[in-house]
Amino acid sequence: MSGNHVVNTIFSDFQKSLDEEQELREVIRNICKDVDQISRKITTVLQVIHHNQAEIGQACLQARELFEKASEGYGKLKEAVPSTDYYKYQDHWRFMTQRYCFLISLTIWLEKGILAPHDTVASVLGISAVEEKEGFHLDIEDYLVGLLHLCSELSRLAVNSVTRGDYEKPLQISKFVMELNAGFRLLNLKNDHLRKRFDALKYDVKKIEEVVYDLSIRGLLPKAQQSTEEA
Amino acid sequence: MSGRGKYRVNRQKHSQTTLSNVAKEAAISLPADSPVLAMFKDAALKLNDRQDRHERLVKLSRDITIESKRIIFLLHSAITEEAAEKAVKEAKERLEKLTKGPIKSIGLELENIPAYLHSRAVTAGLQEFIEARTFCSLMESKVIITWSEVQKEFQYVIKGDEDERVVVTLLTQTDYMLGIADLTGELMRKAINSISSGESQACFHACQVVRDLYTGYLGLFCMGKELARKMSTTRNNVAKVEAAVYALRVRGGEAPPLLLLPVKPEWETIEHSDDEGFY
Repeated sequence: MSGNHVVNTIFSDFQKSLDEEQELREVIRNICKDVDQISRKITTVLQVIHHNQAEIGQACLQARELFEKASEGYGKLKEAVPSTDYYKYQDHWRFMTQRYCFLISLTIWLEKGILAPHDTVASVLGISAVEEKEGFHLDIEDYLVGLLHLCSELSRLAVNSVTRGDYEKPLQISKFVMELNAGFRLLNLKNDHLRKRFDALKYDVKKIEEVVYDLSIRGLLPKAQQSTEEA
Repeated sequence: MSGRGKYRVNRQKHSQTTLSNVAKEAAISLPADSPVLAMFKDAALKLNDRQDRHERLVKLSRDITIESKRIIFLLHSAITEEAAEKAVKEAKERLEKLTKGPIKSIGLELENIPAYLHSRAVTAGLQEFIEARTFCSLMESKVIITWSEVQKEFQYVIKGDEDERVVVTLLTQTDYMLGIADLTGELMRKAINSISSGESQACFHACQVVRDLYTGYLGLFCMGKELARKMSTTRNNVAKVEAAVYALRVRGGEAPPLLLLPVKPEWETIEHSDDEGFY
């Protein structure tokens, strides 16, 4: 029966492509597991910033070393994923990449106090920042989610630096996060993951404002800042 | 108590400091042209582009869905063999119009965009198109057109001023298979319709195709979520079509074709619960 034969071919072809996809997913999963483990390690290393001012520099150095390793992992991932299929398999590395964006931007902020641009973060991971028809890149949405994670972490840092007696950092954080907040307001977000994460930003902003407020009514703000505020 | 006094003075000086003031000051102190804001403006452009494109694709996909449903309806409407031939001819023309119209537009829209980024926007339309396309090919030549054949139809040569380039609208194999799963529903309807028009041969053929397809789906593993969801509908379709064929065999000799149908209302009620067709 010719009809039956065609149907059989349709299904056997499909099964073949399913099998290949499964195999590929397995490979991707394994790479992602390793790379993800490194990100957890970096997260742990960077936790020291909340209770030990002196060790921040050291933690950043350590994080930088681990980023190198992570970028090797991303290199493997880049090879494993067919260049046209980035968005087909994106779910495997999506959350991991968001965490890396957070960790990298945090490290750069701790080092220099500036916002790490999209292409800088991508280059630390050893991948492209530009979305093209083909190729592995850093999705802009993942980068933005990473920045939102950064804001949450900084709001915690603001509280902890006050506890430590550092009254300058909350102001620096406040300025930085405010700027990011203003930036995020420029985006037209639809009802997706990024939007939900953005909606949580206001709580971080509020927390930082409260810290700055507490400091200012008690006259605890650093001298330079105080005089400009009064002027 | 000098400490207290100092505190008071301080407090007076800062009597204007409220929580909202803190926020306002921080907001005002932002430079309008800071690199951070510039970066976000850039990001906003990228995100807007993506969203607009997505909306355009959803619209195209909806157009394809509507026209495909109409084509399927047209194919069902033919009762006699001559009418069927005419319907197939018209359906073919309309399908071609779809391939050269909205489906080509999808390909052009996504020419420089990573594949799969917007696959969710177009999947519904493409599935419906596959349903119509395979149904048409089945009625025309009793053979289901394969995925690679349809994919070949989705290749377009665009002539520029000097050069030619090829644009392909990506049809994922999963979309194709999802469309085929819907096809079983159409075949089931066709089988039942052909009983009422007295063409038992067509009915048996449709029934056999539904069975073959169902057998194929049973053999798949790791088929993915959406396909697994369609399996129960497919199973119902097989049950319905087999019941119809059974009725035809058992009572076929003794009753006029129309009498074989009363069982239908019962199926119809189930049908509306899980099958997406309304015709």
